[in-house]
Amino acid sequence: MLVCDGISRWFGGVRALADVSISINRGEICGLVGPNGSGKTTIVNAVTGFYPPQKGRILFEDKSLVGLKPHRIAKLRIARTFQNLALFRGMSVLDNIMMGRHIHMQPSALATFFYWAWAERDELRQRELVEDTIDFLQLQDVRDAPIEVVPLGLQKRIELARALVAEPRLLILDEPMAGMNQEEKEYMARFILDAREERGLTVLLIEHHMDVVAALCDRVTVLSYGEKLAEGAPSEALSDPKVVAAYLGSKKRHAA
Amino acid sequence: MFYRLAGIRHTSYRSARRLFPVPFDRWLLLAVLALAVVAPFFLSKLHLNSYLLPWVIWATAALGLNLLMGFAGQIHLGYAAVMAIGAYTAIHAVRAGVPFELGLIAGGLVSSVIGLVFGAAALRVKGLYLAVTTLAMQSIVDWIIVHVPVISGGSQATLQAPAIRVLGQPVLSDEGRYWIALVVCVLVTSFLLNTRRTSFGRALVAVREKDFAAAIIGVSPFRYKLLAFWCSSFIGGVAGAVLAFCYYQAVTPEQFHLEVSIQAVAMVIVGGLGSVLGSFFGAGLVLLAPIFLNNLVGWIAATLSLPVGPEVLSHIPLVLYGGLIVGFLLFEPLGLAKIYDNLRNYFYVWPFRHARH
Repeated sequence: MLVCDGISRWFGGVRALADVSISINRGEICGLVGPNGSGKTTIVNAVTGFYPPQKGRILFEDKSLVGLKPHRIAKLRIARTFQNLALFRGMSVLDNIMMGRHIHMQPSALATFFYWAWAERDELRQRELVEDTIDFLQLQDVRDAPIEVVPLGLQKRIELARALVAEPRLLILDEPMAGMNQEEKEYMARFILDAREERGLTVLLIEHHMDVVAALCDRVTVLSYGEKLAEGAPSEALSDPKVVAAYLGSKKRHAA
Repeated sequence: MFYRLAGIRHTSYRSARRLFPVPFDRWLLLAVLALAVVAPFFLSKLHLNSYLLPWVIWATAALGLNLLMGFAGQIHLGYAAVMAIGAYTAIHAVRAGVPFELGLIAGGLVSSVIGLVFGAAALRVKGLYLAVTTLAMQSIVDWIIVHVPVISGGSQATLQAPAIRVLGQPVLSDEGRYWIALVVCVLVTSFLLNTRRTSFGRALVAVREKDFAAAIIGVSPFRYKLLAFWCSSFIGGVAGAVLAFCYYQAVTPEQFHLEVSIQAVAMVIVGGLGSVLGSFFGAGLVLLAPIFLNNLVGWIAATLSLPVGPEVLSHIPLVLYGGLIVGFLLFEPLGLAKIYDNLRNYFYVWPFRHARH
């Protein structure tokens, strides 16, 4: 479904990604792990069009994504959440989630001017769809609250809701459980699994909690210093000696 | 105590999404609107023509600027130039025989096209740089208007506004002109209120808050910034035309200089960025406070027979006026609308202290 073929990206003299290839199959939850600065988020930014790769190809359902602007890529039904939250302050929780429907709506100033005759019907229909997701993620209580007053764990869930209402074909979750406690993590894991089951999602998951990665993912890709270290089923990939060395350091490196 | 939310239950999304879910607010709005409609019957000519009429027109203009500054977060220091384009276009159009209603729309359209051209150039930069670029728009438009006789009729010239005819009926009275301004104001207000609950308005706010996050859910930041420029310039152009036709009944370049732009920005900021009500408060304060302070200071000096010269007497109101604006913004940086909101929330639960909101 998504194929990254030999993508490289430099920032000045820093090589963030070196000839990395990954592929994700339909219906899969694919993990992307690696120590800090190993290029996980750079891959996501390459796929979503913020930092297109300087070398290599990215194909989504056989369409090249390289060179497309982020908002065009969103229209192909790729949604993502951000590592450090990118919700819109000054809007209610509901409006934030409604924003996720943007690509399915026809926003226009004229429709707004003739609201009662024109925009209202669409707004209310989209609202019903959004309410399904609000129910699904159990956000009913905070629906009308301004986004600033909602606690962090819930904000992460709201961001997930905003991504889900877009009915994405590929959902990219960039550390959805960062800063969460055990209970919130379990909720989130449940939501991700349920979302896949109910909506047939394909998920690319970046996460540092290895227990979560091992439990959720069908396949895992491990990155270190912009290069691919290992790939495969979680149990194999995470116990690969190279991966253990990258995370914990190896004896040899200490001796040297 | 004054607002009862208890017992208000929404059973449909339509009712939950109303502009004013609290019945009290709806009645208040209707009352204010009714008062505004019948104002010519109980206000003196002076009050109608020099206080209420400019207030209504400037609130319209401030709403347009608020769409750009408050909703979309783009500063514009050349708003008076936009209004000037609208005013000149409409007057020339009506002189050429175009009906008044279409002349207003033509003024809006020409303003928005020219505003869009400058916007497209200006939006390559952000923040303070954008402010300076829009300042350039003000100077360029000022210069062109003064130096092209076809537009201004010469550098010192005043163009008389032709007689207004609405639906073929001549409008000659002060009341008629006021009602025209009021209708335009109500239409623009309704547009701004609705903007807050449509995908169009949400996209504008999203671009203001985090343009990268907006892009990731399919909003093109550049497109929406341009749309904001377009709509805001359209409203500005229409407001400028109404100002020229209904208030000045003439147009000269001096009506739309830089200080007028600054005044418009002040209205939006003092009133409250992104607040519809705030634009009315802001326009009211910026326009009427100087008059009010002038009268007040004059009255105090007269009653106490203070030994102050006319020079000092004319400057004290200005000092007070500046102090008033600084004071309001220190007290509540989010503007008069926020002060109103705080008061309202306070009285929700009065005499108790803690509100849920």
